Amino acid sequence: MALSKDVYKEFEDVVGAENISDDPAIKDAYRSPDLTVILPGSTEEVAAVIKLCNKHKIPYKAQSTGWMLFAPTYDFIFMDLRRMNRIIEINEKNMYAVVEPYVISAELMAELFKRGMICNVKGSGSTCTALAMSGHGHMGMTTSTGDRNDLATEWVTDEGEIVRLGTLGASDEWFCGDGPGPSLRGVYRGGGVITRQATKVYHWPGPSEYPLEGLSPRYTLSKKPSEMNMMVRYFSFPSIGKLIEAELKIGESEIAFELMGFCPSMVSSNITTSNEEDFETLEQFTREVQGPGFMVIIVGNFDEDFAYKKKVLAQIIKETDGESLKAVEDPDAEATLLFQCTRVCASIRETFRAGGMFSSMMVQGQRYDNHVRWLEEAAVLKRELIEKGLVIADDGQQFGWGEEGGHLGHTEIFCRYNPYDEKSSKAVQEWLAKVGKRALDGCFAVPSMGILPVDVIGKRASNYHIWFGKLKEAFDPNGVGENTGFSYVGADTSGVHTSIYQKPEKASPKK
Amino acid sequence: MAGNESLVKIFGAKNVLDDAETLEEYSGDFSFVSPVRPRCVVKPKNADEVQKLVKWANDKRTPLVPVSSGSPHFRGDTVPGIGGAVVVDLSGMKKIIRVDRAHRVAMVEPGVTFAELIPAVEKEGLRLNMPLLPRKSKTVIGSMLEREPVVMPKYHWDISDPLACVEVVFGTGDMFRTGQAAGPGTIEEQWAAGGAQKTPYGPGPAAWYRLIQGAQGTMGIVTWASLRCEILPKLEEPFLVGSAELDRLLELVHWLVRMRLVNECFVLNDSNLAAIMARKFPGEYQDIKDTLPPWVLFFNLAGYDYFPEDRVSSQIKGVSDITKRIGLEADKAVGGVSAVEMLKMVKRPSPEPYWKLGGKGACHDIFFITTYDKLEGQIGVMNDVANKSGYPALDMGVYLQPIVQGSNCHCEFNLFYDPQDPVELERVKELSAEAVNCLMATGAFFSRPYDRSARMIINRDAAYVDALNRVKTILDPNHVMNPGKLCF
Ligand SMILES: Cc1cc2nc3c(=O)[nH]c(=O)nc-3n(C[C@H](O)[C@H](O)[C@H](O)COP(=O)(O)OP(=O)(O)OC[C@H]3O[C@@H](n4cnc5c(N)ncnc54)[C@H](O)[C@@H]3O)c2cc1C
Repeated sequence: MALSKDVYKEFEDVVGAENISDDPAIKDAYRSPDLTVILPGSTEEVAAVIKLCNKHKIPYKAQSTGWMLFAPTYDFIFMDLRRMNRIIEINEKNMYAVVEPYVISAELMAELFKRGMICNVKGSGSTCTALAMSGHGHMGMTTSTGDRNDLATEWVTDEGEIVRLGTLGASDEWFCGDGPGPSLRGVYRGGGVITRQATKVYHWPGPSEYPLEGLSPRYTLSKKPSEMNMMVRYFSFPSIGKLIEAELKIGESEIAFELMGFCPSMVSSNITTSNEEDFETLEQFTREVQGPGFMVIIVGNFDEDFAYKKKVLAQIIKETDGESLKAVEDPDAEATLLFQCTRVCASIRETFRAGGMFSSMMVQGQRYDNHVRWLEEAAVLKRELIEKGLVIADDGQQFGWGEEGGHLGHTEIFCRYNPYDEKSSKAVQEWLAKVGKRALDGCFAVPSMGILPVDVIGKRASNYHIWFGKLKEAFDPNGVGENTGFSYVGADTSGVHTSIYQKPEKASPKK
Repeated sequence: MAGNESLVKIFGAKNVLDDAETLEEYSGDFSFVSPVRPRCVVKPKNADEVQKLVKWANDKRTPLVPVSSGSPHFRGDTVPGIGGAVVVDLSGMKKIIRVDRAHRVAMVEPGVTFAELIPAVEKEGLRLNMPLLPRKSKTVIGSMLEREPVVMPKYHWDISDPLACVEVVFGTGDMFRTGQAAGPGTIEEQWAAGGAQKTPYGPGPAAWYRLIQGAQGTMGIVTWASLRCEILPKLEEPFLVGSAELDRLLELVHWLVRMRLVNECFVLNDSNLAAIMARKFPGEYQDIKDTLPPWVLFFNLAGYDYFPEDRVSSQIKGVSDITKRIGLEADKAVGGVSAVEMLKMVKRPSPEPYWKLGGKGACHDIFFITTYDKLEGQIGVMNDVANKSGYPALDMGVYLQPIVQGSNCHCEFNLFYDPQDPVELERVKELSAEAVNCLMATGAFFSRPYDRSARMIINRDAAYVDALNRVKTILDPNHVMNPGKLCF
């Protein structure tokens, strides 16, 4: 359904003719024939667009950088925030940066590196938005996670009201997002649009720019990591029990800049440049590793710090019978992993390249050891799919990483497959549902979003879906924004479960 | 007991108190809010009783004022905002439900004090990230729900730390568990599956605990909370750095916190450091203070299980590189205060009498969050306001606590006064109102507004208040939870 001419004109008056389109070619690029694309350029324009959505009861959805791969299923206003792409401030003394939604981590990191700082880069990589609100990332050991990095925030609610959290509302500053009184950081992920946000940033003792050399796609560094007080290693262990022991000890001893539970297939995808090379390398790694493993990056603030951290790492690995994968000790491979994992962030090669698509079961924020029993079962089920040739034949393992010095973490298992093969897609969906159900029945975790209906999950988790529905209703009385908002903490509303929040008598997206 | 029979049914006669003395005790505190006598005080023993009470309060439209810590209270948040309220004294709910070394997490009921929890976690090789010398009666949950600053900024990743999950009876009377604790399964089933109640956010897109924190009991009553704990160090090496130049000290603080070199780390002025260390007032207090420079930074290095000596010596190297660059020197003692003694102090609650009360018998705190660059100016403003009102700024305590890993700083002014002296009391009362106004104009952020200024502070931003009220309407539609506080 296209907007009527008059309504289209009202939106056009807000953003200008060049920033609105219902041209079929443009819509196709946004993956749906049924939407009107709008590119607001400021908070005020976002608010005005949402107000119009309320006036005409038209649902809307916002996109920062689109890495959630949200596929629209009905007509609405699609707000692409790409014109809001400014780094507003980098405050070194108080260790935060303020960005608009279309600033990507690569841009922010380039500026931060110059100042000896870094930020959390989401798991989808450095082309993902630098907004704090969104996503966990592999450097979580040092850079915490999306849900805990946000400071002051500018939030346009689903009614188009601009709410300024924390110091922003009180004094137009960015250093704190909580209060006065209770913190609205508790609700803003439930809907509306974040237009500017301060994110915590962290110390980076490494170079202000990596000494990159080589030609695409094979880059490496002209300096050995050890010359920059950095080291990358991959360790495998005789058992999961030993791996967990090592992971916990590394977390508690505060020596790791990053502890990323790559399985060998993830390492091989990241240091190779094609599928053929990838599978050859994987075969070699699979022969070499003794069991499950993880990658560790050690970064020294100064020589003595680097020496101390290496010494502790060696001791822990000895105690836990870990073995270093020789291929990663090669300074070239080490350097590639280093800059990829700290600047590019690894995911794309390891997820999309092999089959074209991947689907994950993950639990964010909880430590690996909490879920290992459950995901071992998931790995067994995944191997059945591998044997049937339905998903890419990798090592079939779950993985995880540490966050905040091992206080928190992330656990995940994914299948890579060909999305155009119906049998594969169906098998993967069934696998996810089975694993998700097991998460609930085994009292392990709230499974990742979109896998089971929210009310099935909610009933098993303090009925949070009912309370969340009330929040939605309170902040979005016309039901225009039910598909927006972001969460990676269990099931959310992002388009998948609209039915339970939808009020047909209000905004009525056409399915 | 007339009129309270239904409460007696829930709690038993001995846990419903309405004698004049008790009511008097709960009707006011050290703050300047007007005293209001409650209708009665009830002492729940478990979550079930709390839930029954909240349902009863909704039926009877009776205000509830939750309080966990024992007296003395200072901030007015537990003084009833209106008449006819039932004070819910949770200080008797004292179970330490679990201490889990592997997950570095503890779970406690609302009445558990720091003094009680510290030995329990230490037994397991853990420690708490504590506020600075809390009073003996302060409960762990009370402190966390108020987002009190803690002394180890390195482990303060988020302003909500160290709070993890809570079980809460919302103002509606519904029971809810936040974060990882929400489910699936009961808490016991989660333990059996290898889980712990550690991850704070969720379930779903909301971070429910953030709505309970900072709410001063206006959203619901917390019946247990879990909190992250840190590892007990094997070796510690504390230092003091004295200076008259605050900006230099703050530059050092920035780098120590930024590079995660230190555990405990905060700055005190001479008055506060002397008040903490002195056991006898005014003699010993004055003697210590006379030996001190205007500002003293305390920090502590720690080694854990692996090669603790190596770690501490590498950190000493890191610290000395920074101190050399800035032109400061870290020592084992400054004036009459030793770093080791100071470390002993900050690991425990305050000895009796509470350090803020030892000198003059009362203390009024003005605190806010700010950034390093503004601190000197704001301290100057506070000094001016104090001096102008006749309160000698030199007597005032100042406590600067870097928080959220150095993203900002808690700044606290402690106005010690004699509560028996009406002139002094009136002076502090007037001065505090004036100071809040002047400090706000400099960008001081009163994220936890209490006392008489609370309403003025929170009501300045209409859109924010509107949003908070929408949340309030969901969690406490009948406004039974601590009415009259914040903007509710
Ligand atoms: C290969 C791969 C690996 C990944 N790994 C991880 C991982 O390990 N950990 C992890 O957390 N995530 C991971 N992700 C997901 C990715 O991090 C998140 O999808 C990320 O948050 C996407 O951000 P975005 O801005 O690109 O999202 P978008 O697709 O633009 O939006 C995501 C959701 O947020 C809403 N939204 C977007 N912008 C705003 C805004 N400004 N205000 C309000 N709502 C908004 C949208 O409406 C949508 O519901 C991965 C994704 C991929 C493709």
